[in-house]
Amino acid sequence: MNLEEFAKKLVENIKGHVPEYIVQLEAENSVMLKLANGKPSVTQSWSEISVNLYFAKDGKMTVSSFRTSSPDEAIEKSIQILDKLTPSPLYAPLPESNGAPYWLVDENVKEMAISGDISQMISDLSLTELTNSAGAITLSYKSQLLAGSNGAWLKGESTSFQGYLRIFRGDDASGQWSWTSTRYEPGKAKKAIEKAVELAETCQSLPQVKLETGNYKVLLSPMIVGNLLQYVTMAASGASMIFGMSFFRPDDIKQPVASEQLSIIDDPHNEDLPGYRLFDDEGIKTFRKHILNRGILENILHNSKTARLLGGETTGNAGIIQPTPFNIIVEPGDIKEEELLEALGDGIYATNNWYTRFQNYVEGTFSTVTRDALLLVRGGKPVGCSKRARITGSLRDLIRNIVGLGKELWPIQWWEVSIPSLLPHIIVKTRITAE
Amino acid sequence: MIDQSFLEKALDYMQKNGSSYSEARFHKLTGFSFTILNGQLIGASYEDSTGVALRSIASGGLGFSSTSLLTKDSILESASRALKAAKSQKDFKPRIGLSEEYLARISYRVSEKKPISDWSDEDLIKYFQDLYKGLDLDKRINITQVLLMFKYDIEEKLLVTSDGAFVKSYIPRIEVFYSITAEYQGERANRWNQLGGSGGLELLEKMKIAENLEDDSSSLSIYLREAKPSPTGKMDVVLGPEIVGLAMHEAAGHPSEADRVLGREAAQAGLSYRRRLEPGYKIGSEHVTVVDDPTIPGSHGFYLVDDEGVPARPRYLIRNGYLEEYLHNRETAYEMNTHSNASARAKEWWAEPIVRMANTYLVPGDYSFDELLEDVKNGMYIKKYMEWNIDDYRWRARYVGLEAYLVENGRITRPVKNPALEVNSVEFFSSIDAVGKDLAFYTGTCGKGEPGQGVPVWFGGPHIRMRGVRII
Repeated sequence: MNLEEFAKKLVENIKGHVPEYIVQLEAENSVMLKLANGKPSVTQSWSEISVNLYFAKDGKMTVSSFRTSSPDEAIEKSIQILDKLTPSPLYAPLPESNGAPYWLVDENVKEMAISGDISQMISDLSLTELTNSAGAITLSYKSQLLAGSNGAWLKGESTSFQGYLRIFRGDDASGQWSWTSTRYEPGKAKKAIEKAVELAETCQSLPQVKLETGNYKVLLSPMIVGNLLQYVTMAASGASMIFGMSFFRPDDIKQPVASEQLSIIDDPHNEDLPGYRLFDDEGIKTFRKHILNRGILENILHNSKTARLLGGETTGNAGIIQPTPFNIIVEPGDIKEEELLEALGDGIYATNNWYTRFQNYVEGTFSTVTRDALLLVRGGKPVGCSKRARITGSLRDLIRNIVGLGKELWPIQWWEVSIPSLLPHIIVKTRITAE
Repeated sequence: MIDQSFLEKALDYMQKNGSSYSEARFHKLTGFSFTILNGQLIGASYEDSTGVALRSIASGGLGFSSTSLLTKDSILESASRALKAAKSQKDFKPRIGLSEEYLARISYRVSEKKPISDWSDEDLIKYFQDLYKGLDLDKRINITQVLLMFKYDIEEKLLVTSDGAFVKSYIPRIEVFYSITAEYQGERANRWNQLGGSGGLELLEKMKIAENLEDDSSSLSIYLREAKPSPTGKMDVVLGPEIVGLAMHEAAGHPSEADRVLGREAAQAGLSYRRRLEPGYKIGSEHVTVVDDPTIPGSHGFYLVDDEGVPARPRYLIRNGYLEEYLHNRETAYEMNTHSNASARAKEWWAEPIVRMANTYLVPGDYSFDELLEDVKNGMYIKKYMEWNIDDYRWRARYVGLEAYLVENGRITRPVKNPALEVNSVEFFSSIDAVGKDLAFYTGTCGKGEPGQGVPVWFGGPHIRMRGVRII
């Protein structure tokens, strides 16, 4: 389907009725190989068009989304209801569009995503030789067109190659790692798979130990860092603050909220990460920015609406309602990869987690459950592998209690880390509860 | 609905080109939602997600493809991709199959006593703005945000398979999500909740939305103003139905999903302790019977036939303390040489049908609430929770109370803050020595699959009494 023609048709239908609008069209082809027990459980492929619409009139707003190629009826309803709504306290006029089109396409990924033929990838990654593995590998080609009453007429095209593998060894040992890229880079995938194998085999080679509940120095893998810091970046979204779902407050801006060792960047211009884009959902130019800069809350992520309500300028992070980071990068520390355990000394190396839940969003109290290799480290050496445990406490405290950061950044994206990220290992002091 | 012949042609194409099983599902989800913050409308939203999903088993491999382009050619192209995807796995020598089943040929529709179409969408907004105005929230704390989200959606499906299933269904659902944030003397807390069911506008009354909000504001008030740090250690605990229901979902339902047991979700939602504990293993006391039942009228997880064409029925996951059924779709049933119990569900057209729960609950006993308490000397009553999680073997769970009280000599005394019950699944079910005669259901969106599929469910149960469990 030709996106430009589709967009023109939609805009023609809309513009006589709605003074302010954004039409966002996205066409995506993707293919996913899902593995279990070392074999494919299913190969899935998708071909879809999605349409997101923002309409505003006299301060009233609708935001609708359609995963269909014929949204006419729903669009008509969206237009009709506008007059019947009451003005929204969140409303702000759309700023003039200043975004730029982008094209970041790897032809190999595009070809596989459209054809669904991934035999070359299966061969390149030697997937038939992996035993006791599970995971998912996705190749995607996406094009989008954003048209708006604010002058936006912007096209973007991009590709992504992303996956994760969990490797099992023996009855109780496993390791899991992920990778993400805008290009077809089998090397990145192989490195992640090797890391998962290494962790599973390290755990298998060590005696099983029982952890005691208590306070520890914990080396968090980039997989865990990605999961936990995703919640930190969402807490830095203006909408989370407005809706009462953030442990930051608007007046935390420019204040120290974390260890000065921690700097988190949203970088939509990083060409290695699939969140790459040069315009946001309001057609505003994106840019690289610190969320945390040496522990200071440098920027609240804004679209035009949250910026007006909380005071500030859009940071080019729209989501129409919920501003969001596009690519997360944590600035590296100085601990070399091979010296991480030595830097930890006595403590725990937690390599993966899932199921992070909050007791209290506004205070940041949470727990998360570790999975896969959980290594007890003594004198810088792994001495045992434990069953699963929990990291508990306050996320606000956790980002203050940082001991050190690794030098190497890993490209992470998986089931529990939806935002593409470049992340180091981080050593923190935190509480562990164990059986 | 779609021209049925498009789906049949896709089946023909796959069957003629090497598919041993083919499936085509038209799936349409349309809805309306809006958000109200502190009584003011933030915005409204329409949704329409419509497409066709195709599955093929060929050369022992399983392929899935879907498209939102609903022309005959696009659907045939998608069928070709599904077939190609299945065949592309041949180097792995896969052996995927489906169990033989009695398959439904049926058309059904959930009735709406008060049809959603009776009210305009602006009537619905007004209903909720009026509801907000009439709320009698706890005034002893500073309530800073009340976020109210409403949505209805209508799910229409048409499923045809190469082995004869034909299922046409229409299920409307209503769902409310809210979050309350409050402050008292510099301390903040929040509570969110989800209410839902299948049917029409009659559900708005059944959900008791205002009563739930008001009660939750009282819970926050107790938490912020009165609760003192929780004692720790082993003690008897009476759990409210809200946590009991959640625990049935997490510690009985998920581990009974046969695809987890077989490792199909190992890298995502994880595995299951039932890989090692076979049916017949005594996991709990005789008071524990856990059922998952898609056929409960009005439930959020309601369906009569699953997304592989198998007629639904109640499934006994635990009966009188013994592990019993797994939840099966036709794929896992084939692998375990048994029959499906109709657990295949797909969220939308872009999703493959995988093993899911529907409405999971602990079967009530015969104790009144007072009888449950009266035998507790030094223990705790945990009424509501906010934080919970469980490990990826569904073995060790954590439930942290929001509204909780000490129980002394059979009486509720003072409120306590953040008691954390950490317990493994055998400890949980074995410690139950009495089960209440009340039964309440709660609404959830259950996550699983890759890409993630959040499907509507209920979970429920009565009050229970647990002996000697650890609060940390």
